[in-house]
Amino acid sequence: MSTRAEFMGRLRAELAKTSGLFPAAVSERPAAPAALADTIRRELSERWPATLERFRSEFERVGGVLYRVPAHADVAAVVARIARERDARRLISWHPALLGFDVAPSLRAANIDVTAMPRSADAEDDPRLRDVVAAADLGLTGVDLAVAETGTLVLVSGGGRPRSTSLLPAYHVAVFDRSVLVESLAQVGVFLEAWHGDGHPPADGGAINFITGPSRTADIELTLTRGVHGPREVHAIFVEAAPGG
Amino acid sequence: MSEPDAVLATPFRQRAERALHDDFLQQALTIATTKFIDLRRQAFREFPEGDALRDRARAIKEATLQRLDRYVDQLVDNVERLGGHVHFAASADEARDIVVEIGRRAGARMAVKSKSMATEEMHLNAALAAAGITPVETDLGEYIIQLAGERPSHIIAPAIHKTKGQVAELFERELGRAVPADPEALTRVARAELRDKFLQADMGITGANFAVADTGTIVLVTNEGNGRMVTSLPRLHVAVMGVEKVIPSMTDLMVFLAILAKSATGQKLSSYTTLVRGPRGAGESEGPQEFHLVLLDNGRVRQIAGPLREALSCLRCGACLNVCPVYRQIGGHAYGYTYPGPIGILLTAMLNGPASVKDLAHASSLCGACADACPVRIDIPRMLVELRTEVDEQRIAPWSERVVFKTFAALLGRPALFRLAAPVSRVLQRPFADGRRIRRLPFFFGRWTATRDLPAVAPRTFSERWIELEDGR
Repeated sequence: MSTRAEFMGRLRAELAKTSGLFPAAVSERPAAPAALADTIRRELSERWPATLERFRSEFERVGGVLYRVPAHADVAAVVARIARERDARRLISWHPALLGFDVAPSLRAANIDVTAMPRSADAEDDPRLRDVVAAADLGLTGVDLAVAETGTLVLVSGGGRPRSTSLLPAYHVAVFDRSVLVESLAQVGVFLEAWHGDGHPPADGGAINFITGPSRTADIELTLTRGVHGPREVHAIFVEAAPGG
Repeated sequence: MSEPDAVLATPFRQRAERALHDDFLQQALTIATTKFIDLRRQAFREFPEGDALRDRARAIKEATLQRLDRYVDQLVDNVERLGGHVHFAASADEARDIVVEIGRRAGARMAVKSKSMATEEMHLNAALAAAGITPVETDLGEYIIQLAGERPSHIIAPAIHKTKGQVAELFERELGRAVPADPEALTRVARAELRDKFLQADMGITGANFAVADTGTIVLVTNEGNGRMVTSLPRLHVAVMGVEKVIPSMTDLMVFLAILAKSATGQKLSSYTTLVRGPRGAGESEGPQEFHLVLLDNGRVRQIAGPLREALSCLRCGACLNVCPVYRQIGGHAYGYTYPGPIGILLTAMLNGPASVKDLAHASSLCGACADACPVRIDIPRMLVELRTEVDEQRIAPWSERVVFKTFAALLGRPALFRLAAPVSRVLQRPFADGRRIRRLPFFFGRWTATRDLPAVAPRTFSERWIELEDGR
């Protein structure tokens, strides 16, 4: 086995032999990404309807379905309808405190079995929870960024917001509002710099997933097929009410 | 590195010929590469900033290479700070031993893998199986070829050479399930088979499309979601990555993400871009408890100051394969090594030395379509020409070929002789010329005309007409 010193020694020896192919620079990074991210968010909050429309068109292009509801109180009804139409009876969701609302009471009334993910890692060795997740038909999550340019949902993992909620069930339903809408991948870069730098990430888990439509493959004769390993459908519910309002 | 001898025992010329006469393959290749080309063109047509971003991406790769030691050090420090382990492999053999040992020490019985060309390059699966760890490929295309006991024939669409009928027969034989020859039904079967494996496996193995030095993040780009499964469910995650895949920052990452999927499949982004850092976070109920990163040299480092340096910028998107007139005719398997297509020839030379491509270096028309399609504008034709020169100088090429080219060079360097060559050739070609084409030639020249025609020397060549024109003035 090579040691780090041996490996890096060989690397440096080769680097010393050349000055490269042409003068080149890496990307210039924002000096204060958290402040820049705040500025982007503030500017976008004034024109969110246009950003949302662009998000809708890209999200639909990749096979997503977008819904608009006036307030959080209206989310459960949409989720219940999606579940009923697909005969989905077992729902798992991010912890209600992280979603900012609790759909469980009204969904249970609609005869849908709801399991919220625990916030602490104490449940990690609970094999029953793994079984529940594996058997779920529908996963309900929040969204940390919604990217208009590509129709992408960005989700950060953490306590109460496990990686699998948006992955194992056949149907993924994500709920978001104007505060997470951004226009471009370049802006996502600013948020990523901030989350890893002078700002606060939405959660402290080890995975950030960009989700652009349902799981898909074209490995057999380049024929597009949805839902190969992950969800076969992705739904996003936009809550119109101003956040915190 | 050893390649399966059975494939390389057959000379390249015969492998290519077999491919040219395989009707299934010809049909599959035409359909797939044409579709990929259209999707890519469409994606960039709708993305006017694409050209400028490709220049940026090329510059970032070059600038990173110039300070690669600094970025690798930073990556290693960050992965370790997050609680991950980093391993250093000079060769494919070393990398293989490292991964097997990690699995053995953790008592792993089954490893689920997401698609990784780096692990193909080191023939990891056989070594895992020998150590009692069952490797399961989970990318649908890789799963198909693993069941078939074959190797990938395209960097991003490994089963591109198989028809749905062939896949249905394969599933029936290997899984004992009768499935209609319909991509949807076949995909459902694979989903069911692999879902259980994801939940049972104790080890997840991935490659990496990028690693961000500044944050210690490994980036995986997938469409099926298997990359997410593999990094979320097993208790152990091992990522194997060529050392040149490191990039400095998240800002840089977004430049690459904006062009990678467009070049590969014509999507704006692939369905899933997964950024993972170390083992699971403090509050997480999922994610690996143990994370390992294996940094692979295997011929890469010596190219930092070598003739193939530019090939270290490759993103493995596959765009150059789809547009290559040679790849489109012979497909991936005929190349005989892990990486097919124009970039594959360069990577094969990088990994196995120039002697390994003495034939492959000529499997290009030097038309330049690959360089045009490359998202980071790698000048593949330039390096292919240089490889040909190197192969010639090292006398790896057969003597007959060397004689032909020496003679040709001597002619071109002597105008008087060159002028004489035309009338002499017109006499010599008489028995073989069929109008304006030569369809067969004797001796070893016949290898050229077996699959190609040669234009006959014209009744009056350009230079002969030129002289007449000048005289007539």
